[in-house]
Amino acid sequence: MITAQAIFIGFFGVAAVWFGVVVFRTFSMVRSAIALLFSQTALGAMFLTMQAEFLGVLQIMMMATEMSIMAFFMVMFMMDPGGMGKMEMTHQKRLSWIVGLASFVGAVAIAVFIDWGPVATTVAETAEQTEALGLELLGRSMLIFEMAGVTILTAMIAATSVAIPPMPSPEKTHKDKV
Amino acid sequence: MSVELIWALITGAALFGVGIYGALSQTNLVMIMMGVELILAGALINLVAFWRYLHPDVAAGQMFVLIVMTVMALEMAVGFGVAIARFRSKGSVEMEEAAELRE
Repeated sequence: MITAQAIFIGFFGVAAVWFGVVVFRTFSMVRSAIALLFSQTALGAMFLTMQAEFLGVLQIMMMATEMSIMAFFMVMFMMDPGGMGKMEMTHQKRLSWIVGLASFVGAVAIAVFIDWGPVATTVAETAEQTEALGLELLGRSMLIFEMAGVTILTAMIAATSVAIPPMPSPEKTHKDKV
Repeated sequence: MSVELIWALITGAALFGVGIYGALSQTNLVMIMMGVELILAGALINLVAFWRYLHPDVAAGQMFVLIVMTVMALEMAVGFGVAIARFRSKGSVEMEEAAELRE
């Protein structure tokens, strides 16, 4: 039976995939970043439709920030950020098409032909869900949660140290002065 | 079988396929990262759908989503760090010009 929830999931799902496709079809890098932002926002809307309010809001907030930063980097690093020159920036398109399509067909086959068992029709209230998630994070999954935190810290330090320009050696600086 | 679950899984499959296409076909590092983001987005929607329609009483399902979101943020942070280093040394983040990294 088609419910309102199914209609909204279908609508936001089509939007997420459509904007995902636009990411690789437009020549403008800023448009690419904005299309990815819309795709991720549609995904967040799907989470909200599936009554995962906390995750939906988190997804939208996180991706809005992430994609804004990405847009800045796109403008900085691309040779033709506005896409005015319609530069071709792809390779091995045929192989990519085949692998992408095969992945899609394989995943759809698994989704459709596997018997997923009984489906839950009701879900706990938002406040109860968030409380259960908090207890999970600070209880049984504490180690995994802490590992994620430490990994983020490590990645931040690693990314910053990689991005900082190397210091010139004292010998070279001395020679340059002479 | 639930229509909602199947549609969510098909969306995940489509995002995964589009992401794979992008990650393989693009020559620019930032665009490749966008492909990886879409692959992870496909995983995210699957995890939320499995939690919602199969095990809504188990909070660990939502925790997996948080872990994947963490991986997305890490991928961006490290990827941009590498992109800055590469751009600073070679003036480009085109992967076709990065063949010397193999040597």
